[in-house]
Amino acid sequence: MQVVAVRDDPGDPGAPVWEGVPSETVALAPVPLDAQPNEYIRTSWASRPYGSVREVQVAATKRGETLFVRLEWTGSGAERREFTDGAGVFFPSAEAGDGPTTMGSRAAPVRLWLWRERLAVQAGLPAATDLVSRGPGVFRPSEDGAASAPVGAVSAQAGKAWTVVLSGPAGAGDRMGVAVWDGANEERAGIGAVSSAWIALDGNASQTSKKEGQ
Amino acid sequence: MTTIAVEQSVEGNAGAHQAGQVAMVFDLNKCMGCQTCSVACKVLWTGEEGEEHEWWMTVNTQPGLGTPKGWEEMGGGIKDGKPVAGHQPSRAEFGGGWTFNYEEVLYGGKGAGAHLHPVDPGDGSTRWGMNWDEDQGGGEYPNAYYFYLPRLCNHCTHPVCAQACPTGAMYKRQEDGVVLRDETVCQGARFCMEACPYKKIYFNYARNVAQHCILCFPRLEVGVAPACARQCPGRLVFVGMRSDPEGPIHKLVDEWGIALPLHPEYGTEPNIYYVPPLAPYRLNEDMSIDYENPRIPPEYLESLFGPRVHDALGTLRSEMERVRAGGTSEMLDTLIVYRWPELFGPFTTDPAGLDRRPEAVAVSLTTKPAS
Repeated sequence: MQVVAVRDDPGDPGAPVWEGVPSETVALAPVPLDAQPNEYIRTSWASRPYGSVREVQVAATKRGETLFVRLEWTGSGAERREFTDGAGVFFPSAEAGDGPTTMGSRAAPVRLWLWRERLAVQAGLPAATDLVSRGPGVFRPSEDGAASAPVGAVSAQAGKAWTVVLSGPAGAGDRMGVAVWDGANEERAGIGAVSSAWIALDGNASQTSKKEGQ
Repeated sequence: MTTIAVEQSVEGNAGAHQAGQVAMVFDLNKCMGCQTCSVACKVLWTGEEGEEHEWWMTVNTQPGLGTPKGWEEMGGGIKDGKPVAGHQPSRAEFGGGWTFNYEEVLYGGKGAGAHLHPVDPGDGSTRWGMNWDEDQGGGEYPNAYYFYLPRLCNHCTHPVCAQACPTGAMYKRQEDGVVLRDETVCQGARFCMEACPYKKIYFNYARNVAQHCILCFPRLEVGVAPACARQCPGRLVFVGMRSDPEGPIHKLVDEWGIALPLHPEYGTEPNIYYVPPLAPYRLNEDMSIDYENPRIPPEYLESLFGPRVHDALGTLRSEMERVRAGGTSEMLDTLIVYRWPELFGPFTTDPAGLDRRPEAVAVSLTTKPAS
């Protein structure tokens, strides 16, 4: 995927700058049940379908030292009660050999920029968080997140369609994975849909640091 | 840097190499349902935004649906060594934490035409509350009955909540067995709420973290008993180390067998115990006393405390008979609590004598220690 360098701010999902940026359709699949981090989650989701969003349109731009990833998908549109919709992009460390389907591992953690739709009562929370993932749902705050450029997100919803632009330091990586969570289906943590292969980010490689995502 | 337990057994981070276990015993024969324990906890720990509906300590009338509404039917726990899928209680099922139409009543110009009422934010939370079915109880006149059941996190020996947490934010402290959550790590996945069979974990929507009773651990660390125990005017809450052979906990639970865990079949081995309630005898239709049957059905108590409840009640009755006959009973003397500090085992420090409130350090201490 070509990361297009842009001058104008691409932070808003509807920004005109995105019109000239090519996008790719990325297939998603449920995170494998047997990869879930504990027996409770494997048991409680054994007979429940999840990972209901099966494809997402992905585009990427870079403005200065900030990478912008735009994700578009059609959700279920069902009423969300306890859990909200979400999306994220993963960046593996340079040494990571596994695919994104397990959201990283203890041996090969990945950097996760996570957006979740916020409820009105959550107005004080950031739209996106900078995390390190060591497996499906094994998320922790990134310890060097405060030292680097902040991770952000701006979202727009039209009917069942979501468009989310995640942004963060361009040095996050030269490959990424994508995940989407359907809040109406109570998807969260490792219960969600994820891309099966890393997406190469052409034009972002020069910014890659091996320290990121570790 | 903290360590993540990515794959945990049903044991969670619990028990096997634990140095000690703080436990509590509630004598239900003395609980009058005054909610002082609930309020003491509320004032101390859950007064911030997002915590309005959180009552880490609750007292419910039994029989009843309790809080969250119908919690005993929500699953979770451990069966045959395996975790059991459970339901995450919703905001509506907990209820409470209401806001009221003060603006309309006080400043709306409607005079007596406006009445104060809770305003439902659209989630149904005004249709239930932490003590909604107070004093309804069970049975029919003249044999209606009820009793009060205080509940808090059981700080279980097998905390299935911690086992279900994908991030490793939850853990059981080695030194005293208190089950805690590192709120800087919690991502709000809420599997803990599903897995807990007692449904005593709440979700703070404003902060996106789950929360539950911390057994007042900053107070324990400086020798002060938890607020719910210390504030109880009925002198019914014992606190101590389970393994202390001279302490009341060990005697009530292990030596005399009159303090029992709630719903032992849930499989998590709670460390909160209850002395089950005795009851008046039933009345016959002619209002004569039926000396053969207590008003609280024994089968109902068995459904709460397991089959050992019958022996526990039998022991209590026989001790009472002994005292009535002129004898003495260490067991009854212990339950009467002639001297208030005897309730608190090693946690008898008066917080008023401390230089600073122990609760003031709690925020920093909720971070999981390095292992």
